Amino acid sequence: MARYVSVYCVIHQPRRLKLPAQIIPRHATAEDIARCLFDEPMNRRYLEKVAETCYRPATKMFRKLLDRGFKLSLGISLSFVEQAERWAPDVMDDLKELLAHENAELIAVEPYHSFLFYFDIGAFTRQMRWVAGELKRRMGSATKPVVADTTEMFMSNDIYHALQRAGYRGALLDGRPWVMEWRSPAHVYHYGTRPYLLVRHTDLSDDVGYRFSNRGWSGWPLTADRYAEWLARSEGDCITIGWDYETFGEHHRTESGIFPFMENLVDEATKRGISFLTASQVIEEFHEQSYHLPLPEHACTWAGSGDVGFFLGNDVQQAVFRLMHHAYNKASLTKEKDLIDLAVWLMQSDNLHLIQWHGRAGAEAEVSAYFTPREWWQLGAGAIVAEIQNVYKNFIKALDHHVPGFEEVDLYRQFAYGEIAAQ
Amino acid sequence: MYGPRQQKLSPQTCEFLLLCFEGPDEYSLAGGLGVRVTELARTLADLGYDVKLTFIGDPQKPYHEGEERLNLYRWAQWVSRYYPAGVYDGEEAKLAEFSSSVPAHIVKLCRETLTRGKVPIVLAEDWHTAGALCAISDMLHLEGIRSKCLLFWNANTTAGFHRIDFARLNFCATLLTVSRFMKHEMWKYGVNPIVVPNGIPSRLVTAEPPHKEAAELRGALGEGLTLFKIGRFSPDKRWMMAVEALGELVRRGVPARLLMRGGMEPHGGEVLQRAAHMGLSIVDVPLERGRRDLKNLLAFVRVHAGAHIYNLKYFVPEEVTRVLYLGADAVLANSGFEPFGLVGLEVMAAGGVAVTGATGEDYARNLENALVVETEDPWELTLLLQGLFGDEELSRHLRAEGRKTARTFVWERVIGDLIHRLTYVGQKQGALSHRAARPHSVGTAPKGAKEKAARQRSFRKVGV
Repeated sequence: MARYVSVYCVIHQPRRLKLPAQIIPRHATAEDIARCLFDEPMNRRYLEKVAETCYRPATKMFRKLLDRGFKLSLGISLSFVEQAERWAPDVMDDLKELLAHENAELIAVEPYHSFLFYFDIGAFTRQMRWVAGELKRRMGSATKPVVADTTEMFMSNDIYHALQRAGYRGALLDGRPWVMEWRSPAHVYHYGTRPYLLVRHTDLSDDVGYRFSNRGWSGWPLTADRYAEWLARSEGDCITIGWDYETFGEHHRTESGIFPFMENLVDEATKRGISFLTASQVIEEFHEQSYHLPLPEHACTWAGSGDVGFFLGNDVQQAVFRLMHHAYNKASLTKEKDLIDLAVWLMQSDNLHLIQWHGRAGAEAEVSAYFTPREWWQLGAGAIVAEIQNVYKNFIKALDHHVPGFEEVDLYRQFAYGEIAAQ
Repeated sequence: MYGPRQQKLSPQTCEFLLLCFEGPDEYSLAGGLGVRVTELARTLADLGYDVKLTFIGDPQKPYHEGEERLNLYRWAQWVSRYYPAGVYDGEEAKLAEFSSSVPAHIVKLCRETLTRGKVPIVLAEDWHTAGALCAISDMLHLEGIRSKCLLFWNANTTAGFHRIDFARLNFCATLLTVSRFMKHEMWKYGVNPIVVPNGIPSRLVTAEPPHKEAAELRGALGEGLTLFKIGRFSPDKRWMMAVEALGELVRRGVPARLLMRGGMEPHGGEVLQRAAHMGLSIVDVPLERGRRDLKNLLAFVRVHAGAHIYNLKYFVPEEVTRVLYLGADAVLANSGFEPFGLVGLEVMAAGGVAVTGATGEDYARNLENALVVETEDPWELTLLLQGLFGDEELSRHLRAEGRKTARTFVWERVIGDLIHRLTYVGQKQGALSHRAARPHSVGTAPKGAKEKAARQRSFRKVGV
């Protein structure tokens, strides 16, 4: 029976694109290009809304729970931090206070929630090394995070090596059956000597993360005592639970009872002899009895059915993915740091996640459509997928004048002076 | 007492928030729209209303400029800096920025107006503003203040109609247009706008017509029939009809000449080629030493007396066009498609004889205050002009009646009409009265009009 539970939450808000795509003026600066690419007023609206429904009440709740022996590992994307610093500084203050608690631990998260690991593993390694210090500074933590999570908990053989090169002691992995095979997720694993792998228990995590307010689910309504019982009856050393922080108040509204559920869970778990640990405490406690886990060459993720199909499963997603690649390549040619940074922002997994519904139906498509900004639907489904691609195309074109040595052909001059005819 | 007293729109009860792509800056003036919104805003302010005009302004000027009652907001200046050639340079980039960021700005202004206890009247002009206006309506709904604000969208032209979601726009705002012709054009889209005509500045009718200068012009040109035409080189303006009528007059022995000012459009080449083909002599009037004044024009005309067409190659300022309007025997504003036809009205204001087309020119009545051509047949125009030539009494009558008509279209009078219409909508919506708002639509085309219009669409421009 598992005696320990480790709860990991991740906070993220995407930097949503501006649709319809805005044409970018020639010779535009990186700052003005960004204004054309991203819909900051919309990002502000969503951040303020989620701050009200989730970030403020959830942080208040976790603060109380930490005092009662609950332990929380918290990953925060820089995409969220940038927005919260601008538009909800009180939320940042609350989170800093939460992380200052001895029962909380900061987890390093891929800063932009991007697919950089697919395009440039070296740059990804550098980003992950950099973000540990950056998050420590921005969140006012005493120490750098030692455990890492990647975008959508992507993990593969090469990503593991990149995290090892970035200096992490631990990393998170979703415990999909096709990765774990006969193994239990309730142990610590390793591939090389480090990082150690904390395996998210998919079923027990999704019972709360996805199914909690689903009245069609056989487990509904889920009560704290029943869930604590499920945790206690699980085999293994330690159960790792992974949720979006937005689970509390946003994905599951207050009326669903998610807050009282969590408040009672601590007592119900304690009654059953369960203790809570942070991610690094799990490693500390169990690293000597960790097991070898062969990592897949194809990446696994906590999204969708656990493979990249959730992000690259339809032709439009594949087209946007290719455009992400072209955008990054073009930005790299400019050698301008700010433009390369914009190209990485454009790699946000959300931009693929939000169009998973294209040509699809079913539960995953519903999740994808739920995350698609409400305002975009006015354009119509076809225009959404076309305009997302136009954002990338406009960006790639706008970089023409930033590539050293580029000179535009003056077609008017050529026609007027017969230069084309002469050729 | 016959019931509860209804609140009326007045400078004490409402404020105007105008939205337009064009505006008063030189950078923002591309055509009639900029002139319209500038004059409308100024006259409203002169009448005591608080007016806030948001437009694509000169990027070199301040974002916000406020006079006592008239406040200007120059929008999308960061985009405009990349497009120095004018308001429509980089149109799509500006449109995207305008549509996405203007709504929050207007909603903020609406909130401030409501805080002052007044009704915000948002009046948006032409297709560029349609998307933004719908978003404004949505945001006002979200804030719970939509019913307290009046939203109007005005069509000055049919340009860009293919990019408007009329069903949505008609749901979000009350639609206005400038003529009955436009109203009927818009029936095709399933909407029934309220007509409020365009206006002209009162200075055009209060100023004494430039009789002395007009006499000088006639003296320089000599005996015969003098015609003047100004406008873009667009087939809609019926330039071909004008030169063919001139050719026919000359063929019939009338000593006629045409002073013309077109644009840079390629259709101008076709027009001049047609004139030359008809044997008409053409002289270009160049801009010499930057002088656009009448003296320069008269000197040129005296030297080149006897030409059939004087083609002015430069922008003609208002003081000179007024002389040409008055000094010519007729001004050819004979467009085949005119949402309103401001030129005809300006001719009337200057005391000239306007020859108008028969589409949006609601103000024009044939042989009463103008000459009106019903077809694009040059013979019809020839006949009217030949009838005018030598008929001093008709000319005097048309000039006098034209001036009278123009006086009824000055902005001060038009705004009276506008306020009346807006009050009607405001009271129906419940924003102005103490009565509860009732669900109501003032914007649905008469039953069957859309289908009828679709059947007739192909006959719109067919002449006799």
